[in-house]
Amino acid sequence: MIEAENLTKKYGKIKAVDAVSFAISRGEVFGLLGPNGAGKTTIIKMLTTLSIPDAGRCMLDRINIVENPFAIRQRIGVVPQENNLDRELTAYENLLIYGMLHRTKDLKKKIRESLEMVDLRDRRDSVVSGFSGGMQRRLLLSRALLTEPAVLFLDEPSIGLDPQIRRQMWDVIRKTRIDGRTVVITTHYIEEAESLCDRVGILSKGKLIALDSPCNMKATIGEYTVEFVDPEGRLVQHICRSRDEAHDIARQKNNSVTIRKSNLEDVFIKLTGERIE
Amino acid sequence: MIASGWYPIFLREMLLFRRKLLKLSYLFSAMATPIIYLLAFGLGLGKSVRLSGHDYLTFLIPGLVAMSSMNNSYTWVASALNLNRLYFKTFQVFVQSPVSPSSIMIGEVLAGMVKGLFASLLIIVVGFLTPSGFSLTPLFVVTLLLNCFLFANLGIITGMISKSHEDTSIYSNFFIMPMAFFSGTFFPVDKMPVFIKPVIYLLPLTHTNILIRKGYLDKEGFISLLVLIAYAMAFFLYGSRLIKKYSE
Repeated sequence: MIEAENLTKKYGKIKAVDAVSFAISRGEVFGLLGPNGAGKTTIIKMLTTLSIPDAGRCMLDRINIVENPFAIRQRIGVVPQENNLDRELTAYENLLIYGMLHRTKDLKKKIRESLEMVDLRDRRDSVVSGFSGGMQRRLLLSRALLTEPAVLFLDEPSIGLDPQIRRQMWDVIRKTRIDGRTVVITTHYIEEAESLCDRVGILSKGKLIALDSPCNMKATIGEYTVEFVDPEGRLVQHICRSRDEAHDIARQKNNSVTIRKSNLEDVFIKLTGERIE
Repeated sequence: MIASGWYPIFLREMLLFRRKLLKLSYLFSAMATPIIYLLAFGLGLGKSVRLSGHDYLTFLIPGLVAMSSMNNSYTWVASALNLNRLYFKTFQVFVQSPVSPSSIMIGEVLAGMVKGLFASLLIIVVGFLTPSGFSLTPLFVVTLLLNCFLFANLGIITGMISKSHEDTSIYSNFFIMPMAFFSGTFFPVDKMPVFIKPVIYLLPLTHTNILIRKGYLDKEGFISLLVLIAYAMAFFLYGSRLIKKYSE
């Protein structure tokens, strides 16, 4: 469905994205995980035709994104990291304009369904500036899905949302794959990547440093992590292959220790020596 | 592809414009400057000035219409596009949609023309209420439309090339405002020193002012019309190119 090959983007002398390659299958939920500044949003901007790559090639449905951006735009829906709704227009007007831009058929019916899906039907005629942050994110998602895109791009979809609203958002995202839609998500939330993604690409300083399913990544480094605070007050982590190994390490420590399942942040730390957030 | 994509962009601007009109602040800001000039120059200074045997108000009102249409078509487009691109990011919705750059251009320019025409209409109404012998001719209407079109296109260019919202003010202060004063709005350009005339005749508003005061299309008017059309086409093509090449 999507094939990126040596995708590169520079801003001045800084390489925001450095020869990144990956392939995403149809119907897959693919995550790009990394800290702020890792290059996630730049990759999304290139894949959604907003930014022209300096080098490399990217195909979506075998269409070159640089050579034929018009055809790409007919196939994608985008939830950007920064809210780009028209705040002085109503929810309905925002969806109406977007649907008209994409020449969506049965637009009024689809707007009704879209607003229902994100539980905003009763706020149809409210001006967006009066919406909470969570409501605006939901409206962005309903707008992106209005045209029934083959690929949905979500750039930090739950950024700034409280945990409860975040989970509601995840439920809506899960629903979107029912009809075989491909979903590309960027996030720096470990839980979001583990909860939603079939495969995850880990980015650090513009480079793709790992690419696999969350389960495989964790299995590769070790499924259990032992955490304790050393005498200097630093948090120390030991990643272990088995529960027995984790217990052995825990027994050797006099102070309190925590044994937990490894997560993608542990994978990131193991690979880069840095934390994601 | 060119014909169909512009309408949602135009509709969006009109929905936003309607809300602005309801707040009345837009109405006052659109009218304030030309009304101040009309009072100060027309009714104050104008009583003691006659140009080519005519009352000064007869000269001034078409100039104020030209200036007001320029300011409003240009400023609202440049400012809104710049803000939408750099701060609100709503411009990105257009460039990520399957519409052509020229459709985006047409939608935005038509919206800018409506704003320019609306502000001009207010001055025209005031013109009819003053004892100036002001009248509308077909050439006046064509010139007004062309002027709005031209400066809305220039507004797109400014909105696209400005790197910050402050930049748009710099372009206004160094290009639009001097043009308002030196292009024949308040006094005939033939009274200007010879050495500055070539520069003045390069300014598009000079040709709007020449054309808008003519009752019929003579040779001088025809040249001005061609100049305005050439500027308008060049600005449209360059604006479309900037949108086509847009990349973050």
